[in-house]
Order: sequence, then structure tokens, then C-alpha cells
Amino acid sequence: MAAKKSTKDKLIEDESNASRRDFLKKSGLFTALALAPPSLVMASENKWDEKIAGYLETVPLSIEVNGVKQNLNVEPRTTLLDLLREQLHLTGTKKGCDHGQCGACTVHVNGTRILSCLTLASMQQNAQVTTIEGLSKGKKLHPMQEAFIKNDGFQCGYCTPGQIMSGIACIKEGHANSREEIREYMSGNICRCGAYHNIVDAITEVKEGGMSS
Amino acid sequence: MKNFQIIRALSSKSAVISIAKEKEAMFIAGGTNLVDLMKKNVVAPDKLVDITALDLKKIEFLTGKTSIGALAKNSQVAEDKAIIEKHPLLAMALTAGASQQIRHMATVGGNMLQRTRCSYFYNTDMPCNKRVPKSGCGAIGGSNRMHAIFGASDSCIAVHPSDMCVALAALDATVQVEGPKGKREIKFTDFHRLPGNTPEKDNTLQNKELITSVEIPNNNFTKNVHYLKVRDRSSYAFALVSVAAALDIQNNTINDVRLAMGGVAHKPWRLTEVEEFLKGKTVSETIFRQAADLAMKGARGYGDNDFKLTLGPNAIVEALTIASSK
Amino acid sequence: MSKTSNINRVDGFAKVTGSATYSAEYKTDGVVYACLVGSTIAKGRIKSIDTKKAEWAPGVLVVISHLNVDKPSGYAKAKDPHNFGQPLQVFKDDTVLYYDQPIAMVIADTFERMQYAASLIKAEYIKEEHITDLQKAKDKEKKVETDKGDDYHRGVQDNYKNAAVVLEEEYTIPTEVHNPMELANIIAKWDGNKPTVYTKSQGVEGTRRSIGGVFGIPPEDVSVNSEYLGGAFGMGLHTWPYEIAALIGSKKLNRPVKLVLHREQMFTNVGFRPYTIQKMGLGATKDGKLTGLTHEAVAMTSSYEDFMEGTVNMSRFIYNCDNVSTRYRIVKLDTCTPIWMRGPGEATGSFALESAMDELAHKLDMDPIEFRKLNYAEKDLEQNKPWSSKYLLECYEGGMERIGWKNRKNKPGSVKEGEWLVGYGMGTGTFGCYRSPTSVKAKFLADGNLVLQCSVNDMGPGTATMMTAIGAEITGLPSENVVIEMGKSGLPKGPTQGGSATTSSVGSAVHDACNLLVSKILGLAVETSTFKGMAITDLAFANGVVTSKKDNLKSVSLASLLSANKLENFEVENVSKATEEAKKYSIYSFSVHFVKVLVNPNLGKIRLAHVVSCADIGTVINQKTSAGQMYGGAVGGIGMGLMEALEIDHRFGRPINNNFADYHVPVNADIEKQEVFFVNKKDPISNPMGTKGLGETALVGMAPAIANAVFNATGKRVRDLPITLDKILEPRVANA
Repeated sequence: MAAKKSTKDKLIEDESNASRRDFLKKSGLFTALALAPPSLVMASENKWDEKIAGYLETVPLSIEVNGVKQNLNVEPRTTLLDLLREQLHLTGTKKGCDHGQCGACTVHVNGTRILSCLTLASMQQNAQVTTIEGLSKGKKLHPMQEAFIKNDGFQCGYCTPGQIMSGIACIKEGHANSREEIREYMSGNICRCGAYHNIVDAITEVKEGGMSS
Repeated sequence: MKNFQIIRALSSKSAVISIAKEKEAMFIAGGTNLVDLMKKNVVAPDKLVDITALDLKKIEFLTGKTSIGALAKNSQVAEDKAIIEKHPLLAMALTAGASQQIRHMATVGGNMLQRTRCSYFYNTDMPCNKRVPKSGCGAIGGSNRMHAIFGASDSCIAVHPSDMCVALAALDATVQVEGPKGKREIKFTDFHRLPGNTPEKDNTLQNKELITSVEIPNNNFTKNVHYLKVRDRSSYAFALVSVAAALDIQNNTINDVRLAMGGVAHKPWRLTEVEEFLKGKTVSETIFRQAADLAMKGARGYGDNDFKLTLGPNAIVEALTIASSK
Repeated sequence: MSKTSNINRVDGFAKVTGSATYSAEYKTDGVVYACLVGSTIAKGRIKSIDTKKAEWAPGVLVVISHLNVDKPSGYAKAKDPHNFGQPLQVFKDDTVLYYDQPIAMVIADTFERMQYAASLIKAEYIKEEHITDLQKAKDKEKKVETDKGDDYHRGVQDNYKNAAVVLEEEYTIPTEVHNPMELANIIAKWDGNKPTVYTKSQGVEGTRRSIGGVFGIPPEDVSVNSEYLGGAFGMGLHTWPYEIAALIGSKKLNRPVKLVLHREQMFTNVGFRPYTIQKMGLGATKDGKLTGLTHEAVAMTSSYEDFMEGTVNMSRFIYNCDNVSTRYRIVKLDTCTPIWMRGPGEATGSFALESAMDELAHKLDMDPIEFRKLNYAEKDLEQNKPWSSKYLLECYEGGMERIGWKNRKNKPGSVKEGEWLVGYGMGTGTFGCYRSPTSVKAKFLADGNLVLQCSVNDMGPGTATMMTAIGAEITGLPSENVVIEMGKSGLPKGPTQGGSATTSSVGSAVHDACNLLVSKILGLAVETSTFKGMAITDLAFANGVVTSKKDNLKSVSLASLLSANKLENFEVENVSKATEEAKKYSIYSFSVHFVKVLVNPNLGKIRLAHVVSCADIGTVINQKTSAGQMYGGAVGGIGMGLMEALEIDHRFGRPINNNFADYHVPVNADIEKQEVFFVNKKDPISNPMGTKGLGETALVGMAPAIANAVFNATGKRVRDLPITLDKILEPRVANA
């Protein structure tokens, strides 16, 4: 899953991380923040302290989302889902459970469908992420998006981005050879409105290439 | 979730060294279980060592054995053509687990290290000896539909939730690990442990050893195998009971057999005594039934999970029947 | 079929591209993040609450609890339920009434910092003994002190006991939780004393009243936006404490506050279908004529609110029986208040009634459908009124044919497919057709578009699409030219979305407003020189052009009509209501679910090999979205029948499976083969379109259909939902 990059890049990255660590150790702030409430009082009472603290708690992240390169600073604990929704305002990717139990947050990372809620953004250095917003070209929809509309593969629409990202991957992976196989390989995406019948119709239609509407 | 420091390891040696020194440091790979546990405040590491850059993703077919890198993804193994051919039981078990998205993320090593799904373990307001030693076991006398019928203790009746591990336990796999003191090998069936008085320990890893690979010795279990998973819905649910059955049948006689159960104990439950019983016998439902009854020796229920005492043996018969008729 | 009867969902593009904006997704400058910290006991008082660590944590702006809350002025009016809100006043005092009741709120600058800070809050309690187990507390039942809570009797009370063939059984359903995919969420902000909320509400106007009541301001001062809802299934029928908390926080900080519940909190804080114990008594003659029917229910409610639903109501009218008694009681437990969940009480009641009917048919050795037909109600004996329309028999026929009912044998366990035991079952559903006063504004713009406005929202059934179809049909416009503005305050007042009443209420209002608009346009058109001497009846309006029916070369475009009258647009705002005529009839939708199950008794595995859902819902406005709703209702019923149950550890009064891994809802693999059939005949009375409502009845009757099919396959009668595998598992017997 790791992005392709040269060993040299990796070393540089690791070195910069290492030097950051040294800095953190020298400043003592990181440890203090993590462990000692008195420092937190300081951090809270002095606005500048808190801002520095906030910055020191982040790591640099270079990530490509829907073809756009982003150079960001993120907290190590920030999930890819929260990064997309709260920082990049790409709210098409949905939070349904936040624990890997519903599939609403499904996105493609380096071409593979994964759950963004269980993915730490800080571990996605140089990754290529595709979200629902990255599928269509303006008004020109991806065939799977067309098929979901035509076959009414949704009602409330909240699980839909995850279903569509999953459905595209399902075909690409070669797991859409029968309705039964589609049902199994789409079972990681819960639809509480119960549109499963139509979701399978939509994926079957795209798989068979029949996109006339 | 508490914030933490994250560093990326570039070699297994540096990974092991960087983690050994720190008390609250952990490895992270797929993150499918660890991130979840961190969100629930069940674990709160100060430091994560990202091991995803390590060269431990290969599936290799060596003389006499198959080696699967600890960082190979669950889906990568499940869909590997040679694995499907040589170890179909493993592929079936992997495919029965979680969802495709999670299988794309989860690694073989991480799958082995996943924690129990016991609700009392997950809910930090509840007593749980596994999470907080000596805090009590909520599941005993509580809600225990998912829980163990074998090898449990007064401290813990949780089960190991993996499907993959049930197949690996059946297939006599070994676990290769690397620690500060060097490398060693652990028999898969010795890797996970029973709870006893120390349910906080899931396995026999020491000093934050790193799992580097899993090895499966060559075998003849390529045809008459079945992984049966019984659960509360058709997919994307943990096993109530699962059975990994592998038979080597010649002229309707069982030459060799491997049998293990999931969802019934703190570890994948290998049934060696039952295997011995079956060896040399002619395939028949009666024999399978006798085997299943033998398998239940020592089983006990805790109330909600009493049905597993019926389901368990039925599942064994079913799995053996399906495997033998392939 | 009209050209609009199968149009695609009008919000489809927004939903498949991720551009549909749900409540917490509105980009709001300066927004900060809030979350609720819940109590860890089920009953008692907060002895102390330590918020210091959280307050000191990086990025935290404020921690609010009962100790420092600025109480909204409406809190003083203690017992005012504001008809949409609920009596639990968040952070009011130190009382804990249920597990995970909000005791504090943390607001911080980022999501991650807020989450972490919340984990630092610790409280100590003075515990009191809680009761969360209805089975143990059912003796503490009481009557609901409203007319609806009264017992019902027709004919001889409990006459079933005197019958030749008697069935007396108890049925239970567990607590089930709505769990829409979208978490309950809100962005709250204040402009002076006027709040604005983007929230997950099924009723914009109700939320305005409720918030207005809590904060002592007129509802008109409250702006509510609920344009997109990621499902709700009833949980959006209340204004919940989390919404008030966000408003309190926003007011305190004078900043927009975003609050999203965790999935775990969706199980504890925003209602559920209540655990209900039902007793059925059915009596029949030997040839299968019902002579007595008694239906009693005991359901849970919270300690602070009496909640009831129509659990026993269906038994009063669905069959032709002269002697019917119903009784409904509640028991106060230490939980959050229940709230109607799709199908609501009728789904609960139909599980008991339709299971009992199946059991009695079995006792009589009759085909369950023949038994029902024999007791078919030609009129509504409860209200003593004729049905406005009833095509229940057509539903039976349609389903029997599609499911292959002829392959069913009365004797359980007598049909096999390979190793699988085969069973067929059916269950009847019904739901009343309601119509609320609704205001719709219809506007024709010079660009040729028709704008329809109403504050009603669309939680998924396709309300906007239905409005579009009706608007396009009446005005003769292509559906692409209809623009819907809905789901927020400030628009003409629409109803709450619920009770299957939206199409009847809003659709009728669209129908009426559009007709008035067309009349207005034609009225102006006859004044023009083109149509000189013609009457309105001589003119037709379609696709934005008025044309003479006699001479289609004579036409006037809307644009020229507008400019001639010096108008920017033509508009009509109109309130539509139910007619007096409708009161003379009993108006119900009917559904029948059929299932074919395959059962492996060794593993307890139940497969739904085929599900057929038939319904008489009057006119089907849009085949596509209606079918979607029916599929979905059936799937909801499948969850109810086979897997959904909130499990409580009563020692702690806490849920055990409050997450999506352990609280099972159906996944794609559970739904093997599904079909939908609508009778699609216009109801002459219900409303101008002749619709009767679908959303609820789409679920009602599915759970008993499954239970009946499982019985037919295995001979095992499961009377406590859900039908999990342990309930039908058989010790394996070796084949001889």
C-alpha cells in the first residue's frame, strides 16, 4: 500500500522525523504535553504556548487527493476521514460509525478501496487518494454514478459515496462476476435504507457495460 | 484519542530497537484494530512505530514450506493464486473475515494480534481483567453470547476473533519473530494463549517482538478442505463458531486430517485428539458425529453461549461433511 | 402510466457526487467542535464532576455541565413538552435518569482535541437502584393517561376464551434502534437572540417550536435547515438533548458549534423501538371464523416521559371479528425515551397478530391465506366506516403467485431443497393514511422553470422527486424544469416527515397549488388578444405555453404573458387540507410480505431465498422511488425479524452491543432475491392523487412473515424476536 518512492526520499523523511524528535526532546514540550497536566495549564493560559504546542504536535504530510497535491501539517492521530471532512472540506466521504463497521467512509488509496476512518493520515505519506468528489469530471459522471441514479441504488444518500467507491473497486478487483459475488463483496457497506437490491443492479449493469439510460 | 508520536521504521531491526526502549510504544501496520482500540481509549500508546515500509510483504514458496510476510495484506494472501491452490483452507478463512476494505488494510501479523471483541473489553466503563487486570470479568454472569466454551478461566471467557488464525493453527504454521535478542520461531498453536490468571496477555510474544512472517509446511490439503463460519448474518460479522477442516482422503479413507475451531476459545482451538481419532477411519457421517462429540470434551457454557455446545459439534460435522464431499 | 411515473431521483446527482450537504457538513467559518460526555450509571445523582483536566487540555474552549450551564429560559417551564421536544432538560441538574445521559459537553478548536479532552472528564455518582429490564418490571405497568391509552372493547370482552379453537400466546420484541447511517448531528449558531441550526430533524417546523420553547423565543426567530437527512426512520421526530446542548454551547461561546454524536450514543440518546411484551388471545370456530380477538401490550418507556404507539390498533380493524379487546400499558424504565421507529407500533403489533393468525391457521389445519380471506373485513368495524379502497386480496394473490405459494405444504418440515428445509410464510401490514395541512408555493419563472417551495424535508423516501413528478404532471413541464426548494424554515410550512403522510399531505398541496397556478395563467391568457372570445376551458397549458385546444397554432408563451402583465413570475401559495368527505371513510394502506426461507437446522442458518413485498398504497406516483422504499422497508423488517436487538446488561443498565459490529443490521449478502409488487389503483377518497402512504407499511408484516416461514420450514415457533440461530438450532441426529 505504501507509495512508491526512492530509498533516498525515505531516508530524508526519516531524518527529518528524527531531527524533529530531537527538537521535541530538547524543548521538552512534547513529553510535557503528552504526560503532565501542569504544562497543559501553562499551554492553555498562555495562548502562544498552546499554539506552539499545537504546531509541535503535528507532522508534515504530503498527500494527493483527487489529483491535487496537498502539503499539510497533521496531528499523528488525525484519521484520513477527519482530514478529508474537517480540514479539506471534502464531505462527500461519510462518517457512519468511525470504527470500521459500516463502510460509509470507503475511499480509494493508491487505487485500492480502504476505510478512511481507520487510516491514520500521517501514515499516508505521498499516497494518492480518490474520493467520491474525484470521480466525476464536472457534469460528466462516472458510469457507476450514472448506474446508481438509473437503478435508484440509494434513498437517503448517506452510504452512497462509500457504496459507489466500493462498487467501482468490486468490479476492478474481479469480484462482480455474479449477483451472489457482488452481494458478498459489497457486504462491507451497510445501507440502512435497504437499497441493496438496486445497488446490486447498478453494479451488475456497470460490469456488463450496459450504460444506456 | 491521545495524541502520540509516530515514526516510520525502515528496517525490522530499527523497528525492534526503537520500540523496545519505550514502555508505551506500539507497532502499527494496517491499523484496523489498533486505531479502533485507540479511539475507544482501550489502548493509548505514546508512540507508534509505523512498520508499513518494511520489506515483509512477500509470499514465497520455498522448499517444503510457504512463507507469508507479516505485512502481506489479508486480501493479498486470500487472492493469491498459488495460495488458493496450495492452501485453499487459508484463503477461505481469510475471505470469511471482515469486509474487503478491511482485508485490503489488515496485515497477516496484525490479524494475529487483533484483540478480542468482548464488549466488556471494549467498554472502558465496564470491568474487564483483560483490559484492566484485577478489575473483574463482566462477561461471566453478564452478556456472553460470543464467548468461550473451551479453555476459559474465572478471569476471562473472551474469544480470539480471527478466522485466518484458525486455518493457520490447523495447518501447523509457525510464526517467525524478531526481538531485541534476535530471531526465534513460535509454533502457531503456541502463539496465542489461554487466559488463566493473566488474560491481559493474548499471546506469547516477549519484549515487543515483531512478527516477521508466518510459515506453513507443505501439505496435501488441497482438495478436501472447508472453512465453515457460523455467524449472526451472512457476511461482515464475527464468528459465533467456525471450523477449519482439512482432510487428505484416499479411497474413502482419511489418511490425514487437520481440525480447528474459532469463536470458542481464547485462542484458535486445535483439535489434535479428534484428528488422531479420525486418522485411518472411513468417511461417514457417523464417524464425523463421533469426532464432533469427542471434540466437545471439556466444553462448558456460560449462559448466553450455551447454544455453542450444540452448534459446535454440528458445525464440525457440517464442515467435515462438506470438506469430504468436495 | 404517465411520463413522470418512473423519473430518477431529482437529488440523485447531488447524492452520487458527494455534493449533497448533510447537517454537519455545512462549511461554517469559525466553527468549533463539541461532544457530549455521558453518565456511566443508569440512575442516581452526580456527586462530583472533574472537568479540570479537560479544561486544561490543548484547544479546549469550554466545558459545560450542570455546574456552570447558562440554563435556557424555557427550563423554568418544567412540564412544557413543546409538542416536538422532550422533557429531559440537558445539564439541568445533577440527576441521572439513564446510562450515557449527557452530563458534560466539551468544546474545542479541533475535532481531535475535543475528542481527547472529553476522555479526561471523570464523574463520581451517588448511585440509585436502576430498572432496565422490562421482563422483571412488567408488573409495574400503568395506563397512559390520554384517550389513546384507553382500553378498547367491541362485543364480548375476551370472547376468544369461549371459542371452539383457542390460541393464547405471548410474543416479545426487543429494543431496536433506528441507526440511520448518518449520525445525529448539528451545527448551531446564534445571531443575537436568534438561533440557526443545521440539524437532523424530520420536522423543520416542529424543531423551530421546540427550540423556541426551550430558549423562550418565538418559533419564527429560529432558523432550521434540514435539507438532506442521511436517513432517520423516526429518530428525527424529537428535538433531542444533543441539539439543545449545541445551542447552549454556541450561545456561551458566541461561535458556531458542531456536534456529532458517536455511533455508540445513537443507541442511548436518540430513542429506539421499545421492548414490548404482547399477549394474544384468538378464538375461532372449527371452520375458521374468528369469534374473539384480544391483544394486550406492555411496552417500556422512560422514567420521565410517557411514550406510546399504535401497537394494538391493527387488531381492532384488520379482520372481521365482532368481539375485540385491546389494552396497552407502559412501564417506566431507566432509559432514554423511545421514539417511533419505522412501521412503529404497527410493526410490533403485526408481529404478534400475524404470528398468532398463522398459529391459529395451523391449529385449524388451514392455509394461512385461506384463513385470512375467510375473515376478510369488508368494512372497518372499529370506526364503523367503509374503506375508502382496499385491495388487500390483490396483494395476497400477487404475492402467492410470485413466491410460489402453491409449493407450500401446511405440514411443517415437509418441503426440502437439497439439505435445506424450505418454508413459506406471509404477514399482513397496514398503516393509516393521514393528511396534514400543508402550504406550498408554486412559482413559474420567466426562464420556464417551475419552483415548488415547502419546508418539509426528504430523509430518503424521495419527497422532492414526488413533488417534481406531481408538479411536472399538472403543469405539463418536463421534470427537469421543476425546481424544489425544501427542508428549511422560511419556506411555506410543511408537515413533519413521518407516519407515511408526506405524499398525501405535500403531494396534495403541490397538486392544488399547481392547479391554481395553471388556472391563474389561463385566466390571464384568455384576456390576451390571441385567445379573444375563448373560455378558459378552451385553452391548454403545457411546457410553458398556453395553446388553444381548437387551433394549436394559436399560442402564447409564458414569458410574453408575464411581460404583458408586467410580472416577474406567476406564483400561488396555498394551504391544502383533508376534505370533510374523507372523514366518512376509513383510509388505510395495506401490505403483504411473503418470504421463502431455507433453513439448515444443524447450524440454525436461515436464508431468505426469496422475498416478495406487495402493497396497496393507492396511486403509485413514482414506481422507481416507491419500489426503493418498499425494498428498504422489507430490509428493515428483515433486520427486525432476524437480527436486531439491543442487548442490555441489566446489572449495569448499559447496552452491550451499542455499535455496528455487534448490533447487526442486514448487509448486502443477507438479501438474496427481492421483488416488489404494487396494486397501483387510485384511492377515490384519500387525496387528489389517490395515494395512501407507503413508508411504514413497507416494513409492517415482514417480521411475522419470516417467523411464519421459519415455522413452516422447521416446526419451530419463535415468539421472541429476533430469530437468531440459537432459537432454531437442533442437536444433530445422525442419519440412520
